[in-house]
Amino acid sequence: MPVFHIDDEPVEFHPGEKILSAALRNGKKIPHYCYHPGMSIVATCRICVVDIVDLGNGRPAPKLQTACSVDAAEGMKIETMNQKVEEGRKLVNEFLLINHPLDCPICDQSGECTLQDYSFEYGSGKSEMDYSKRVYGWRDIGTFVSLERNRCIQCSRCDRFTREITGTNEFGMFNRGHELTVDTYTDRPMTNKFQGNMADICPVGAITEKEFRFKRRVWKLKKNRSICTGCSTGCNVTIEHDRNEVFRLKPHENQNVNKWWMCDEGRLTYQIMNERKTRINRPLGRVGQNLQDISWEEAYRAIAERISEMEPTGNEVIALTDTHASNEELFLIKKLLKDGFLSDNVFCPLPKWEQRESEFFINTLITTDKTPNRAGALALKIKGDPGNVEVKNTIDGELKVVIVLGNPFETEHEIQQKIKPAQLVVHIGAYHNCWSEIADVVLPGQYYSEKKVTFTNKMQHVQATDIVVQALRRSRPEWQIIVELAQSLGHKYSFSNINQVFAEMAGETKAFSGISFDQIGDQGMKLTQTFKDTGMKLVKAPA
Amino acid sequence: MAEETLVLFKNIRNPKYSKSLEGYKKAGGYHTLKKVFGMKPEEVVQTVKDSGVRGRGGAGFPTGLKWSFMPKGTGKPSYLIANADESEPGTCKDRELMLKDPHLFLEGMMIGCYAVGCHHGYIYIRGEFFPAIKSLNTAVEELYADGLLGPDPLGSGFHLDLTIHSGAGAYICGEESALLDSLEGKRGQPRVKPPFPAVSGFNGCPTSVNNVETLACMPFILGDDGVDAFKSFGPQNNSGTHLVSLSGHVKKPGVYELRMDVNMKDIIYGIGGGIRNGKKLKGVIPGGSSSSVMTADEVDVLYNFDELAKIDTMLGSSAMMVFDEDTDVVQLLHRITRFYAHESCGQCTPCREGTHWSRNIIRDFLNGNGSDEKLRRLDRVGGNMLGTTLCALGDAAALPIQSFVKKFPDDFRKYYANK
Ligand SMILES: Cc1cc2nc3c(=O)[nH]c(=O)nc-3n(C[C@H](O)[C@H](O)[C@H](O)COP(=O)(O)O)c2cc1C
Ligand code: SF4
Ligand code: SF4
Ligand code: FES
Repeated sequence: MPVFHIDDEPVEFHPGEKILSAALRNGKKIPHYCYHPGMSIVATCRICVVDIVDLGNGRPAPKLQTACSVDAAEGMKIETMNQKVEEGRKLVNEFLLINHPLDCPICDQSGECTLQDYSFEYGSGKSEMDYSKRVYGWRDIGTFVSLERNRCIQCSRCDRFTREITGTNEFGMFNRGHELTVDTYTDRPMTNKFQGNMADICPVGAITEKEFRFKRRVWKLKKNRSICTGCSTGCNVTIEHDRNEVFRLKPHENQNVNKWWMCDEGRLTYQIMNERKTRINRPLGRVGQNLQDISWEEAYRAIAERISEMEPTGNEVIALTDTHASNEELFLIKKLLKDGFLSDNVFCPLPKWEQRESEFFINTLITTDKTPNRAGALALKIKGDPGNVEVKNTIDGELKVVIVLGNPFETEHEIQQKIKPAQLVVHIGAYHNCWSEIADVVLPGQYYSEKKVTFTNKMQHVQATDIVVQALRRSRPEWQIIVELAQSLGHKYSFSNINQVFAEMAGETKAFSGISFDQIGDQGMKLTQTFKDTGMKLVKAPA
Repeated sequence: MAEETLVLFKNIRNPKYSKSLEGYKKAGGYHTLKKVFGMKPEEVVQTVKDSGVRGRGGAGFPTGLKWSFMPKGTGKPSYLIANADESEPGTCKDRELMLKDPHLFLEGMMIGCYAVGCHHGYIYIRGEFFPAIKSLNTAVEELYADGLLGPDPLGSGFHLDLTIHSGAGAYICGEESALLDSLEGKRGQPRVKPPFPAVSGFNGCPTSVNNVETLACMPFILGDDGVDAFKSFGPQNNSGTHLVSLSGHVKKPGVYELRMDVNMKDIIYGIGGGIRNGKKLKGVIPGGSSSSVMTADEVDVLYNFDELAKIDTMLGSSAMMVFDEDTDVVQLLHRITRFYAHESCGQCTPCREGTHWSRNIIRDFLNGNGSDEKLRRLDRVGGNMLGTTLCALGDAAALPIQSFVKKFPDDFRKYYANK
């Protein structure tokens, strides 16, 4: 790769790459507002100036240049910290602040605002602008975001976002000169499903997420990397939380999955993470009509006793799971049925789903499959079909043992009715639902923000979650529950962490072969053996 | 004693001239076009290069060189766009051409189209120029009726269409890349360069934007002995005649066609007939409102690109605004700065904020709230727009401010001295 120099240090660049892009990629810091790697370059904020002391031909550039718009060149030497550059930044920052309300104390962006950061570095303590500032009213610009135009620095990122990324053209720049401002075109709130991204890319507190407004100062938030489970795309996210409460999800860059973006629906899944009312708090056992608190040991013992009484096998045993279950959980439940009952009856719903085909990448983000692990189920050959025909046929006979993971077939009354008379129904899950109502034993699982597991997204990338918030005291991750259940039935399962489960799964499943849990890392890994999902229908995006 | 040299205004200055197609043809019009169709496009470009003609739109960039940058064989159409947005304060020369001799400009434009391989040229004309729009529309209709435009002009087989597009009243749309955005139906805002229009211009295709007067020079340059004659009208590197928009406190304001080796003094006192009402000269804005102001002591200089650049100002669009000793330069600067504050597109930080802020400071002086500190601040704020913006409007706003403060500081002080 060709090389140029930033402050005397060599930096590699791709041919045609801009100075700023190469600098940021190599961990160098150059202030910028209007530049965003995912959108067109406008070079209008003018804060990213650098001093090109050698253009690569021995001659310097005649004046400071904007790093975002000038191509890096072999032999080029730039300085980013000399006095000329500092003065160049200072003057831009002064201009940006003269009309800025400086209402940081009540602004949600405070603490993650680049204007605030750069002002701290390059600003002056005193303003020389002694006229009244430009003032606009608050605007309700969208279902998900709100606009405080006084804070806007006219970087046009938001404008470019609806033009270049969503293609919805709902938002734009109005008026000229000093009165240049942003607003929706139709005078109506935006309806695109990706508005939260506009709050992310707005460098100041002009566009903020309604859901997050006034809830927490950002410096109090702790951040963990994870993935969104709102749909089978599995956008990479950071989950931001404080004192065991989740406040928001922010997209994390992954060029193979969601680039820099995620949808608003996915952001809202933070609410589920805080949901307590419908959570299953502790193991429960049925006594007559009612479920009663029991201990884990009692639960496992009760199950083991009933099973040894019945000696069920083959079609007398069935497991139902949803595709919110992780790869490891799906693998283990399948293993348990095989080892314990010589049964292959693990079923999950696999309805048809639609993938939009669109030149705007972001429109392909959100899918109609609202579960995170359909591809995992397919890779592990969990049974299922669009009409749930096979599962219905299988449960026609007499059932002895049913294990339900999560909330599968929630709208299939026929299946629920047929399961009800089974002699032993065990429900493993984080939330109460129709299955916990009919179960004989209920075992409290964990939501994905509380455990470390992997999912396989629609592009057949394996991605990992992380433990973000502390789980309920008496809950356990589902994979551990299945392992313990197997042990209580006398099987020698010796998995003590998720890495070991993953390793065994990778050893036994073609799709995962050669992948280890640690390899998945920050950006996920493509399955080693991919396959075609016949349930997917590619639809044209609306023109 | 300076006098006009008639090249572009040859017809206009002829009282019997009729600007119709017939009249223009009678005066020898479209003869050169016929000759040009017999040349190779590269030869046309080379001839234009040889003539040394520099763009009359303000930047003075050599036109032949600009055309030679147009890439060939890209598989995309090439465009030539006439910049008829003429909005630089003080400038009113393109309007003269379009109103009074539209075919001269159109012939030039057609030559340009042939040179750069453009089959569909656009004329982006200032929206307020109603009579000029009418004049051009009539002329273009005549050309289509005559077959000079369309599939086969003059039997050349070079299909050529021309479209007149009127702007919506923004000065910034005279800046070539903003013009292109506006022509594409977008908000007129300058683009980042590079890529320059020659590489990616109108609809992303190779494009050359040329001023009306620049194009109007083509029939002469490509005519017989045109190059040598054109070069003889001025010193080296400043060839040709140019249309000078002379305005302000002179006795005879107007648009004059002059060689490039005429002294400014002769223009003011000879051509312009001197200062009105027996007043003395105080200063001149030499090249449209964007250029640095000159004091009366500085006007003994040749009025061309290089000589004005030597004294830190510029020829710009050759629009001289002359003002006399009674002029309140603070008000004058306020008027100019108000213009830029109003016309800034607003995308660059320094220009958006700086034009408005400096206008407020100047108004403070007018309101009796000036001070030494504010004068320093005005100079600083103005200077902070210089060279820090995306297009040249920031410079255009900065140069008058800095030069007025430097050259007429006492006029500012008068506003607050007695307080
Ligand atoms: C703010 C601004 C306004 C301009 N307005 C005009 C204009 O009204 N007419 C024009 O011909 N050129 C104008 N220009 C210059 C054009 O950008 C461009 O240089 C010119 O049209 C090129 O033609 P030329 O090479 O024939 O001069 C303007 C430039 C700037 C920066
Ligand atoms: S609202 Fe934010 S993103 Fe949009 S122009 Fe203003 S500062 Fe930039
Ligand atoms: S697109 Fe799907 S995975 Fe991504 S954030 Fe939205 S719901 Fe979540
Ligand atoms: S980041 Fe380069 S000008 Fe805005």
